Amino acid sequence: MHIEMKGITKYFGAVRALENVDFKINQHEIHGLMGENGAGKSTLMNILGGAIQPTEGEIYINGELIEKMTINLASEMGIRFIHQELNLVNDLKVYENLYLGEELTNKFGILEKKQMIEKSKEVLERLKLDIDPTMSVSELETSRKQLVEISKALLFESELIIMDEPTTALTNTEIDILFNIMSNLRDEGLSIIFISHKMPELFRICDKYTVLRDGHFIESGKFKDIDEHIATNLLVGDRVIDTTWIKEDKREEAILSARSLTCDGFFHDVSFDLHRGEVLAITGLHGDGRSELSEALFGARTLSSGQIFLNGEELKLSNISSVMKSGIGMIPRNRKERSIIKDLSVVNNFSVAYFVAKHKRAFINDKEEIERFNNSRQTIDIKTDDPNNYITSLSGGNQQKVIVSRWLELDSDVYIMDNPTQGIDVGTKFEIYRLINEISQRGKSLIIFSAEFPEIHRIADRCFVMYKGQINAELNRDELTERNVMYYATGSNTEGINGKNS
Amino acid sequence: MEKILKNFTWENIKKFNTKYSYIVSFILLLALATIINPRYLSYRNLSTLALQASIKGIITLGMSLVIIAGLIDLSVGSMVALTSGLGVVVLNQTGNVWIMLAFCAVFGTILGLINGLLVTKGRIAPFIVTLATMSAYRSIIVQLGQGGPFNVDLDILESFRMIAAGEILGIPNLAIIFIAITIIISLLMSKTKFGRYVYAVGSNEQAARLTGIKVDLVKTLTFTITGLLSGITAFLLASRLTSITAPNAGQSFELDAIAAVAIGGIAMTGGRGVIAGSFLGAIMLQMIEGILIIAKIPPFLNGLVKGIIIIFTVLLQYRHVLKRKKRIKSETIKAAVTE
Repeated sequence: MHIEMKGITKYFGAVRALENVDFKINQHEIHGLMGENGAGKSTLMNILGGAIQPTEGEIYINGELIEKMTINLASEMGIRFIHQELNLVNDLKVYENLYLGEELTNKFGILEKKQMIEKSKEVLERLKLDIDPTMSVSELETSRKQLVEISKALLFESELIIMDEPTTALTNTEIDILFNIMSNLRDEGLSIIFISHKMPELFRICDKYTVLRDGHFIESGKFKDIDEHIATNLLVGDRVIDTTWIKEDKREEAILSARSLTCDGFFHDVSFDLHRGEVLAITGLHGDGRSELSEALFGARTLSSGQIFLNGEELKLSNISSVMKSGIGMIPRNRKERSIIKDLSVVNNFSVAYFVAKHKRAFINDKEEIERFNNSRQTIDIKTDDPNNYITSLSGGNQQKVIVSRWLELDSDVYIMDNPTQGIDVGTKFEIYRLINEISQRGKSLIIFSAEFPEIHRIADRCFVMYKGQINAELNRDELTERNVMYYATGSNTEGINGKNS
Repeated sequence: MEKILKNFTWENIKKFNTKYSYIVSFILLLALATIINPRYLSYRNLSTLALQASIKGIITLGMSLVIIAGLIDLSVGSMVALTSGLGVVVLNQTGNVWIMLAFCAVFGTILGLINGLLVTKGRIAPFIVTLATMSAYRSIIVQLGQGGPFNVDLDILESFRMIAAGEILGIPNLAIIFIAITIIISLLMSKTKFGRYVYAVGSNEQAARLTGIKVDLVKTLTFTITGLLSGITAFLLASRLTSITAPNAGQSFELDAIAAVAIGGIAMTGGRGVIAGSFLGAIMLQMIEGILIIAKIPPFLNGLVKGIIIIFTVLLQYRHVLKRKKRIKSETIKAAVTE
């Protein structure tokens, strides 16, 4: 499918989301659409998909001017959208999900189950997925759900597939599978628009790129003509980005000590010391027990056995608020589900944790609350017109900044952050890295759970690699390479041992 | 003055309407009632209205807490009947109104606590728990009364009756009590940490838990406070009626309270709404009943009308939500663009 969008401008009220943006994609092409959150990527794609109408500009498909693009027209023309969030119904079977809303029926309106299962099987096989279409979706892991979501787009004839960060929840093997499929589809003549924040993936799979910044078209070209440095510069513009920070070695006293932590089914016998002012990264691949460990350290998951000592005293992990009061703060993964309280305002979202851990009186004072918020804005700049607006009125990056300041307000000794830069733009990411460095300089200790190597490399003093619920390797800064992390995360070093045992 | 006029734009009116929909509907309803009956706004009439709305109104306040926390309590009517019937027995035995009040408050609190513990410790859906206790509490008092009424003894009847029937400076006692409790609950919800936690739990339970809020405790407390308010209501109802017929007392209070909460603009999904809204909601529900009588609609159809009101207001809320979602989308883009 040959698509040309010309001079697209979109205003929401008086606010400009896109200004004179051009976008072009050909047949046999995988096109990487890049830009920070809020650069206008999704607005542009929603215009292409007919979900919103542009204020100005024209769309040509295969050379023909489209008068008015609608969602129905787009799907008739074979434009398919794979959203970042999962749109699956957990209680239905895989094939029922695939055909949801577009079920095959016979002339009496009775479902053609056999046919649907058969076709689903074909698609899943084409994707080399070992998923039985009659399985219930709830039995699948998140990463595999994402793949089911992707196969939904392949079930029907399509000309153009728009993928909005499809790899977020995928493991590396699954990403390989996905990329294989994508290049096969390209060879068949399809066009794919790939929206992602991850440079290695973009460079690996995409042919061309288009960069948007602040609603403006910045540049289009071929990936083979640029490198990751140039791409980052295109994304963030003139802003200066520190690469790494100079760190003195400050392995002195242990502030937090974990001893033989075990949580049946997820991780076992995890022991380590965290030192004052240290940034410790814990990484691994999907299903390594990392997320569960992060929860257990905060008292959000019950341990089967083991002890945690903070400043030499054993922590009572029975409830979260007492853990917070002893001096541990935690920024959970998945902001929308685990952090954001959508019906509360920005400032109220900010102060919840403070009320739990620090505020002694039963009554609250609105003025004092706003003051605390404004104070914290000197450390983290949160962009909001009115802190009494709902938190959902902020962009993803700003929401995360509110959450980060929610916890910094507690002035904890130890911060646990689980995937703290998930789904936020590059600019905010760097700001959070800067903050992590700052608070560690102030003598706070941090444990960062992350799967992104560049992030770990940027911030960590030390890194644990988990594999099958255990710490498989401890890497110091000088051993910290992507190759090493992969080697231990995939358990490559344990193969021989297993061989001997069996 | 000029500034005020300048702010008086259509945009701002719409904004006001979304935020204070309950005040707008109250004014509209008041206008409607005045058209039907020009003497509606008389002092006598309004104070009767406040009096009539009070008893169910206090229940509505408790229901608001429960609904803001994302829960539901269907047992309020039965809690009132059980507490009220036993309260009359206590009064007749002791002859002391204060002992009866203390009994009602404590007993109601215990009934509410049972609901709360079954929901949080038993991990049973609040709908199921309170449906069961609705049936159980009612059944106990019907058995104890052998189907008949609990009558207040004649020697204390007159003085006891005056609690609900009396007035201070021309304002009915019941209305004063209702307003006082409204203010207390309103402060509880807007000015204390507990209130903030209730909103947080109703909006996103998981996020609330992960910021250290003791979700189970908050939930149990909302049920317990509702129980306490049901106990106070039971006391006032006994004073107003002086005879509690076990099968009928407090019947369909849960329906009225839920309807009033809905009219008061509190989100049925939890997390959103203010106590002032349910206060007006309770009064509006009473007004609607009055209007139905004036309009000569058969009283048997009261339930139908309330059912329609609940569905209708929730539909309107849903429309607001849709609008809000749209607005959030554009505001998100706005915020993102201005970054």
